[in-house]
Formats: sequence, structure tokens, C-alpha cells
Amino acid sequence: MHARFVVIGGGLSGLAAAVRLARFNENVLLLEQHSRVGGLNSYYYRNSRLIETGLHAITNYSERSQRHTPLNRLLRQLKIRREEVGIHQQLGSAVRFPQCTLRFSNDFGLLQEEIERCFGAQVDGFNRFVAHLDTINPFLATPFISARQVVSTYITDPLLVDMLLCPMCYYGSSIENDVDFHQYVILFRAIFQEGLFRPRATIREFLELLTDRFTAFGGTLRLKTGVKRIVTRNNAVAALELDNDEIITCEQVVSTIGLDETLRLLGETDHRPQRGQRLAFSESIFVVQAGVRQRVPDDTACLFFSAHHPFIYQRPTDAVDFRSGVISLPFNFNGLHGDRDTLEIRTTHLANYDLWREATTEPERYRRLKESSVKQSRQLAESLIGPFADLILFHDSFSPLTIERYTGKREGAIYGSPAKVKDGLIGYENLILAGTDQGYLGIIGALLSGVSMVNNHLLINHQPSPTRED
Amino acid sequence: MTRADITDLIVEIIADIDDEADFDNLDPEKPLRDQLDLDSMDFLDIVMELRKRYKIQIPEEDYPQLATLNSCATYLEPMLKDV
Ligand SMILES: Cc1cc2nc3c(=O)[nH]c(=O)nc-3n(C[C@H](O)[C@H](O)[C@H](O)COP(=O)(O)OP(=O)(O)OC[C@H]3O[C@@H](n4cnc5c(N)ncnc54)[C@H](O)[C@@H]3O)c2cc1C
Repeated sequence: MHARFVVIGGGLSGLAAAVRLARFNENVLLLEQHSRVGGLNSYYYRNSRLIETGLHAITNYSERSQRHTPLNRLLRQLKIRREEVGIHQQLGSAVRFPQCTLRFSNDFGLLQEEIERCFGAQVDGFNRFVAHLDTINPFLATPFISARQVVSTYITDPLLVDMLLCPMCYYGSSIENDVDFHQYVILFRAIFQEGLFRPRATIREFLELLTDRFTAFGGTLRLKTGVKRIVTRNNAVAALELDNDEIITCEQVVSTIGLDETLRLLGETDHRPQRGQRLAFSESIFVVQAGVRQRVPDDTACLFFSAHHPFIYQRPTDAVDFRSGVISLPFNFNGLHGDRDTLEIRTTHLANYDLWREATTEPERYRRLKESSVKQSRQLAESLIGPFADLILFHDSFSPLTIERYTGKREGAIYGSPAKVKDGLIGYENLILAGTDQGYLGIIGALLSGVSMVNNHLLINHQPSPTRED
Repeated sequence: MTRADITDLIVEIIADIDDEADFDNLDPEKPLRDQLDLDSMDFLDIVMELRKRYKIQIPEEDYPQLATLNSCATYLEPMLKDV
């Protein structure tokens, strides 16, 4: 088989890249190893119920009239109308540390008021910090700068520094105890200045929108089709070898499966210095009776918390670090889930991949570890949002191994390699890296990465002087 | 294509890219960017649509020549004369 363009990986970045390519080109092939697209943000069924693997909330809320915001630009680029997604704003969120809670919403003014209420002396510094962020173009490919250091030059209270880092770490940092400053700027805008929303339906319908667009533009999607090897000749990709030994010759490749994962298919290893260890997470999902609405806060979609200050965001020494995390209440969005009999509560914490791996040597030990983690996480969540154990119908959880198994992300590191390849170039003339290891993270980040890598490298004609094809 | 055909074509392409674009009172001498609030990603889509339909390759350095409806007509006229 021959394809002019091949996208490896049908996660959100791969879908976005594939839609862009197919919109303007013929012969675009999208290869996904699983029987379903979505990657880290997909879905599965348990007890006849659709469960999303990710999707607490989508970042970058913006009004329809703001044409140049990331959300509206992405939708235009992917040819998706807002009505098709159905955009429901959060009812609010919060960052909670033992000393105080900062609430925020899709109105940035709330966060400013909260900072004035809790950190009066820091207001000036905070405003200067925000003014500084406005001057930054975070999409330039620049070397790592510590966000912690930049924030600390404007804000002198270490508690506030931590509280402003915690959500950014959990929603998009691949490095320990810090965030790349440009990534921080992207996340600060995405979470605090723009805000959170959820689509009307589930991730399934959202993925269907993208796949329908891709196939309507003439693209071909092949599921259950893993790439085993990337065959190169003279520093260029010549063909892809699939798990079933089939060979696909191709002209341009976009890989969205991660840097190490791509290098492995090329028969290489990454020799660049690494910035700390890969971070893995565990996630517990509690399916609860709708009566839970009367028990837990009705104004919090996401609760980013740390039970201690200084905030620690690093590979834990235990299997799971329950001292910080995110509690997601996906029903606390305007107009969502009001008619449902059952709802979900989800919790996310940092996890230690090696310890989970070790536990798999005995299936029983792995199962017990999973159960005890779910229990501890539930108890912790109850201490923060109120009791709900008696309303639980069933629960499920993912360990770093679950994530590795289903998405191929090495060590289950959701945010991928600590080092990013911001320009998407990894040394082969017709191979572009997009997605998690290019550096834009989360759902909007992944979509943006797919779109911008394809635009910059495969659509824009950087050659001078006009010519006609054929 | 005549100049009028080309400006119609550009309007049609923009309407397809942005279903909310409002073409009433569009001044062919004034920048499309300001009048229709387009950004560089939208311009890329205009260029891509032209490439897809008529196999015209427009290099990035020529994008400024597509600033207004009239300048589009001037720039594209020689390339589309046989279409
Ligand atoms: C539990 C959880 C909760 C999350 N919550 C949120 C949230 O609330 N909001 C948010 O914005 N983000 C959230 N995220 C993050 C977000 O899902 C990811 O950042 C984003 O989906 C990454 O997309 P990607 O395309 O870069 O990578 P991936 O989704 O990893 O896509 C890579 C794809 O490549 C496929 N693949 C791998 N190897 C091969 C191969 N050899 N051949 C063929 N295919 C291959 C994989 O199966 C996968 O489908 C969450 C993630 C998780 C795991």
C-alpha cells in the first residue's frame, strides 16, 4: 500500500493533524493501534455505562465572538461548528491548600478578587505578573525556563507561588516540581484567563465529530493497525512496517505517539539529557447516585488540592501520593447531567510507575494495590468534598500500567517525556513529531499541536517564487 | 477567470471557511483581514483552498498580495486566466 501522508496515532493530536491534511490533500492515512480512536482521551464500557478515560474538563473556554482565541481558531481550522460540540461552562473551580482556598471561574475577575481576599499584600505583584504574561508569545520554540522562578520574582509569598503552580502542574507539566515557563503561560491563559467547559455529550461524540470530518474529507482511518517499524533511507522515512508485517510506503509522516516511542520505531534511543523522571498518574472513577449533588459542592468542577505546602509534584516514593491531586466533578457544568440518575466523581494523583510494575508480578498483589488506592483516594476526596461512599454504585481505576497498555505512552507518563521538541523536528526530513512530546498538552493542546505542526511543516509553502504543481 | 470571477471565488472560499462572515458592505480596496476579522490561519486556509481547487502554489512571502479583494484579483489573474 502507498499513502502520500501518514499520521501515526489516532489520539486527539493525530486526529487534528489528519483532519487538516485531508482537508487539503488526497491520500491521507491515519493509523491507530487500538480498536478505537482517542488515545489518552477515549472511552470504554463498564456495567453498560460509557466511561471516559480522561476529560475532566476542556480548557480555553471562550465566547463565540472572540474569533482569535485558541478554541474558536481550532474549531474553524477543523471545520467544526460550536453547536456541534455544545459548549457548557464550568460552575467554578478551586485551588485548595490547608491554609486557604482560591476560587476561580471563567471570569478572571473572581481569581483576582480571591487573591485580594487571601493575599492582600501580593495583589500588586500578581497584577504585574499577569501584565508580564500578556507580553509573552509562548508558542516560540524556546529552551526551558523555570516557571517557578519567574512566578517567584513577582510573587513573594511561597504559598501563593505554589497555589498558582498546582493546577498548571496537574493539567500539563511533564517535569517535576515545576512547569516550563512557556507551557505555564499557555496553561495560565487556558485555565485561569479563559476557563473550563465540557462538551454537551461525551468524548465519544467529540471523537466521532473529528473522525467524521476526516473521512468526509476523503481520509482513510485504519484501526487495530499498529506501526512496528519506521523504515528510513538517507535520513528520510521511506515506509512503515505494520504489526501485521504489511509495508506502507509514504512521502510524509506525522508521528503523535511520543518522542521515545517514535525513536524506538526508528531503532534509535534518545541521548539528550533528561529533565528528571517521567511522571505517572493514577485515576479513580466513582459512579454514584445522582443524589450526590446534595452532598458535594455544587459550584466546583475541578478541585486542585494539596494537603501540604510546599506543594510536591514529583515521582512519589509510594505507589500513589495522596497528598495532592485533582478531584473532578464533571456534573458541575452549566446545563449538564441534570437529567442523569448516576454521576461520576473522579480523582487523580501522582503515581510511581516502577512500584505498580513490580506489583504486577503477582496479579493478586496488583489487584489489592488498585483496591487500596481507590479506597484511600475516596476517603481523601470525602474529607475534601463531603461523604459519598454510600452512594457509590461501582468504581474503576487506571494505574500507570493501564495507561501504558492502552496508549503506548511509556511508563504511563500522560504528559510524556520531560524534554519537548517544540519545533516538531527530530532529524528526518519528512517526519514531524506532533502531540504530547511536541509540547502542547491537554485536549486543546493536543488538537493545537496537530493543527500547527501540519500547518507549519506540511501546508505552508515556505519556498520563495510562485510555481504551479504538475 | 475574470477579475469578477476571482473576487466571487475568494468570497465563496471565505464563506466556506467562516460561516459567520458578513460580506455586506465589503470594500474591495480595504484589507479583508480588518473587514472580516480574519487571522493568519484563515489566510492559510484561503491559500490551501486555492491550491486544492486550482493547483496554485502560493509561497508564504506572497500572502500579503492577498490582502484585499482587488489585490487578490490582480495577483491571481495570471494564474487563473485559463481556468
Ligand atoms: C486520566 C486522564 C485524564 C485527563 N484529563 C484531561 C482533562 O480533563 N482535560 C484535558 O485537557 N486533558 C486531559 N488529559 C490529557 C489529554 O487527554 C492528553 O494530553 C491528550 O489527549 C494527548 O493527546 P495526544 O494525541 O498527544 O496523545 P495520545 O492520546 O497518547 O495519542 C497517541 C495515540 O497513538 C496510538 N499509538 C501509540 N503507538 C502506536 C503505534 N506504534 N502505532 C499506531 N498507533 C499508536 C495510541 O494508541 C494513541 O491513540 C487527561 C489524560 C488522562 C490519561
